Amino acid sequence: MPKKVTIFTTNQCGYCGMVKKYLGIKGINYEEVNLDENPAKRQEALTISGALTVPVTVVTKEDDSREVIVGYNLSKLAPAISA
Amino acid sequence: MNQDKVYDLVVIGAGPAALTAAIYTTREDIETLLIEKGAIGGMASVTDLIDNYPGFSKGISGLELSDELSKQAERFGTKIEYDQINSIKDEGKYKLLQGEINQYRAKTVLIATGTDYKKIDVPGEKEYLSRGVHYCATCDGAFYRDKPIAVVGGGNSAVQETLFLTRYASSIDLLVRSTIKASDVLIKELQRHIDSGKVKVHLKTTINQIKGENNLVNKIEINQDGEVSDLNVDGVFIFVGLLPNTAFLKGLIDLDDRNFIKTNLNLETNLPGVFAAGDVRSGATMQIASASGEGATAALKIREYLEKK
Ligand SMILES: Cc1cc2nc3c(=O)[nH]c(=O)nc-3n(C[C@H](O)[C@H](O)[C@H](O)COP(=O)(O)OP(=O)(O)OC[C@H]3O[C@@H](n4cnc5c(N)ncnc54)[C@H](O)[C@@H]3O)c2cc1C
Repeated sequence: MPKKVTIFTTNQCGYCGMVKKYLGIKGINYEEVNLDENPAKRQEALTISGALTVPVTVVTKEDDSREVIVGYNLSKLAPAISA
Repeated sequence: MNQDKVYDLVVIGAGPAALTAAIYTTREDIETLLIEKGAIGGMASVTDLIDNYPGFSKGISGLELSDELSKQAERFGTKIEYDQINSIKDEGKYKLLQGEINQYRAKTVLIATGTDYKKIDVPGEKEYLSRGVHYCATCDGAFYRDKPIAVVGGGNSAVQETLFLTRYASSIDLLVRSTIKASDVLIKELQRHIDSGKVKVHLKTTINQIKGENNLVNKIEINQDGEVSDLNVDGVFIFVGLLPNTAFLKGLIDLDDRNFIKTNLNLETNLPGVFAAGDVRSGATMQIASASGEGATAALKIREYLEKK
């Protein structure tokens, strides 16, 4: 179980919904940063992911190591939250 | 999940065609599994506003329609797995579908894998993917608030996405290879933004190269009717057409010369028990209403097929 999960999203992003749905199924709580409502956070999302896209999911593990998943990418998201 | 189980029907994809088929089959107790590699709702889920799907007089957002469709399918017992199918094998009694994560067995298969965005194959396109090069306005548009961008393409999708992006970008250069081929409603709406100065249309224009600095796009080199120049933009959104998601079917399922799936009037492919519906099918009209219609037709034909077996 990760220590913390943060997802950067926008209002109209279908793949953001998929990440939230997947975490919901797995019973994992997350914090959502909506870049439409909070445009000042765009730079933070870019710095963390190196990409101008959402969703960006930041998984902080028990040992405080961090994994950043860009886009809706189940082959990365699934192991990241189960590790 | 039990990988030995043989489903009555496995549908590859969970776009409008797949979800509609599933509503029909599960209501008739045909045990149905949908397998989706991306977003439930498919292309519809990443479309801002759908204005021409019947039953919604004020239009409906793509996300909302996708959500409603999937809830309706799940209400009747449709199951959805998140996986990508990489091959289908005919094992006689059933078809074996090899996914990235699991294997699936099915008496019948419906291929409803839709399409993906075509690339323009110019230098910089791959290098700056998601760093200034984008194929989804609803996903990435928010990063371009008050910034100059370009949109490439002249069809319905390009114009629709340009309209969506006007809410963010400071200016949009719309680069069209020949002439705009969008519906009158969209062109009328586009004209409003041309008149206000937000959108500038460049006809007979292609991109030679996408350039950048510090890992982000800052300009593009364009060719307008033989004249080459640089345009300063922070992002390029590309909508130049769609390619069918059929690479995993080559050698097994008959495709047309553009790689769309050939079917007969029952929407059945050359392989008995394997059907196709929606945008991936040769002759499809690339609309949500028609994809849903084909999903319903395929479901009824699949029921007939299963009854005969
Ligand atoms: C920008 C844009 C705007 C549009 N606007 C409108 C509009 O206003 N009105 C309208 O009627 N239509 C519109 N369309 C067209 C509409 O979105 C499509 O016609 C419709 O979504 C097609 O549905 P489908 O189910 O056939 O395929 P899709 O919606 O493409 O769904 C196919 C699904 O299959 C999945 N898939 C693919 N390969 C695999 C695999 N190997 N394994 C597992 N899953 C797989 C994909 O991830 C996808 O989710 C628009 C399209 C675009 C691009």
